[in-house]
Amino acid sequence: MRAARLRAGLKRRYAREGRFRLYGLLAIGVAVGFLLLLLGRIIEQGHTAFYTHTVTVPVYMDPARVDRAYPQGTNFELLVAEQQLARMGVADDAQGTKAAAMRSLFSSELKFAAAARIQGNPNLVGQTVPIAAPVSDDADLYFKHEISRATPADQRRLSDEQISWLDRMKASGLVATHFNSGLFTKGDSTEPELAGVLGAVVGSALMLVVTALIAIPLGVGAALYLEEFAPRGRITDLIEVNINNLAAVPSIIYGLLGLALFINWMHLPRASPLVGGLVLALMALPTIIIATRSSLKAVPPSIREAALAMGASKTQTVFQHTLPLAMPGVMTGAIISMAHALGETAPLLLIGMVSFIPGIPHSLGEPTGALPSLVYIWENASERAFHERTAAAILVLLAFMIVMNAAAIFLRRRFERRW
Amino acid sequence: MKFNLFRAADGTEGGGSPAGPPVIAAPPVVHSSAPMGPTKIAARDVSVFYSGKQALYDVTLDIPDKTVTALIGPSGCGKSTFLRTMNRMNDTIPGAKVTGRIEMDGEDINAKSVDPVLLRARVGMVFQKPNPFPKTIYENVAYGPRIHGLAASKSELDSVVEASLKRAGLWEEVADRLHSPGTGLSGGQQQRLVIARAIAVEPEVILMDEPCSALDPIATAKIEELIDELRERYCIVIVTHSMAQAARVSQRTAFFHMGRLVETGDTEDIFTNPRERRTLDYITGRFG
Repeated sequence: MRAARLRAGLKRRYAREGRFRLYGLLAIGVAVGFLLLLLGRIIEQGHTAFYTHTVTVPVYMDPARVDRAYPQGTNFELLVAEQQLARMGVADDAQGTKAAAMRSLFSSELKFAAAARIQGNPNLVGQTVPIAAPVSDDADLYFKHEISRATPADQRRLSDEQISWLDRMKASGLVATHFNSGLFTKGDSTEPELAGVLGAVVGSALMLVVTALIAIPLGVGAALYLEEFAPRGRITDLIEVNINNLAAVPSIIYGLLGLALFINWMHLPRASPLVGGLVLALMALPTIIIATRSSLKAVPPSIREAALAMGASKTQTVFQHTLPLAMPGVMTGAIISMAHALGETAPLLLIGMVSFIPGIPHSLGEPTGALPSLVYIWENASERAFHERTAAAILVLLAFMIVMNAAAIFLRRRFERRW
Repeated sequence: MKFNLFRAADGTEGGGSPAGPPVIAAPPVVHSSAPMGPTKIAARDVSVFYSGKQALYDVTLDIPDKTVTALIGPSGCGKSTFLRTMNRMNDTIPGAKVTGRIEMDGEDINAKSVDPVLLRARVGMVFQKPNPFPKTIYENVAYGPRIHGLAASKSELDSVVEASLKRAGLWEEVADRLHSPGTGLSGGQQQRLVIARAIAVEPEVILMDEPCSALDPIATAKIEELIDELRERYCIVIVTHSMAQAARVSQRTAFFHMGRLVETGDTEDIFTNPRERRTLDYITGRFG
């Protein structure tokens, strides 16, 4: 009787355990599924941004149109387009419609490349020089099969004629496919084929340096004081509650605060890494304080007692024993909050990073973009070629975060080994 | 004379079999009165409050130098609380308050002029659970001399470390691995390491809070033997739950109950001829 009951109960208990394991597996499966879906979608959209097409055209530097002393004044794009049309045996009309159509297949880089060649060597005027430049964004999309002839002509940005020109240029070996190094070496541009993420990467990195330099020492210091030195009481409790609340304040509020405090009141330069870093530091502070406090709390009290009983002062106990033991947790908290700061968008938009900033910053005071705000700007751009670049920028941002998290794990291991 | 029953034949811990009967079965041995020093610590009407709740009531006790004084009593009787008043460890607990007077060599240790940091350099402490720092064996022992600036040079520090480890009976076991982590030692070795750490600063008093309660009988025997050796140089106060241990290692015993000191005297007298009924009941195992 008793044995039967026990057995029946046992069966139920095992069944419950089995169900619970199943739920766990399901939850993990769903989470991993969504993650893969997200990543897969981004990679699918973004991978095409990592290669691009350039066209190399022979340019006859017509002395009648190219000024040796001032090559920048020449309309090279039109020159090249007309010469290309002539080579292909296409007659233009009086309005130059065909030249304009041909011209729109090259990026404006062509003009700068040609002018630079003449500036470098004015004797090239009168000769035929091969000039390489990216194709325009629409041409690039056609070569990537994102614009196809199958679409009705009035719904695509390239006419049948332009497509046939592109096909002919490709067939004659003028068009080359290669890695899109410009994506990593250039700043933002209004033309997708010339736009790169370098300005945003440098901007984000500079901001993170500012954030880390301000938020980590301040946050760890505040946590040390609150946890180890501050007298327990109403004021400490109040501060603790407020810090916990601050960690939950929406980031856009920090952006408004930064705008009012750093830009309008302190007159720091708008959209600069300095202001961005300061705002992100404000945001990261509560997280760092909370993480540091909890890892300080986790240090066994026996170690504190041992140090105090040896005659170590409070400060010696904290800095020689408690903090080193809490260090892995502190580092993890700090780096997680940095990674958070890296991906934060709303406050950056409010302090001016929503505007188009083509340059690559060299100091903390210059206007700069940041990776998340670049993603936002590109996503909102009307050119279709920006879509793949948005996904590529997201991938760069994710890679940045993976590098940071790897650094966090590395640092933690290192500090753990140094008990 | 002290007995040396439980030392393993080869002198190492845990290796050989004990050469005597098990510790548990040992009858309380009564010491012939060992030579006792003058009063080192004098407590007068000491009371302790934790957040307003009284844990210790008006304890008056003299603790002689060069003697082992055992504090015994059931759990929660205030013996550890009293121990912690002697190096002002209660200062570190928020809400703790100590009243009364505790004198060490005639000087009030709770006086404003006494820095607890300096006091703790004179009064070492060993805890219930071995708590070596998560550093090397060498660093553990060198820590005290270092923070108190007691060693002028590296070689002086080396010799302090060696002497302390020798005095704690640990030198032979760790001499070849001074720079491996102290936390990698066995429980008994860790406790002796902690004792070495405490004596490295040449304290005058060593407080021990149930130093053997986390150890096996063989490690316990080693620590007890060590305590007996250390008695020649230091004033030792030990809190213990084991009556047999109190009988084995101490010359003076103080029995605490419900936060009050019930009875104190020579260990021999307490165990053979207690004056108080409660003491008799406790040492005969009727409660506790």
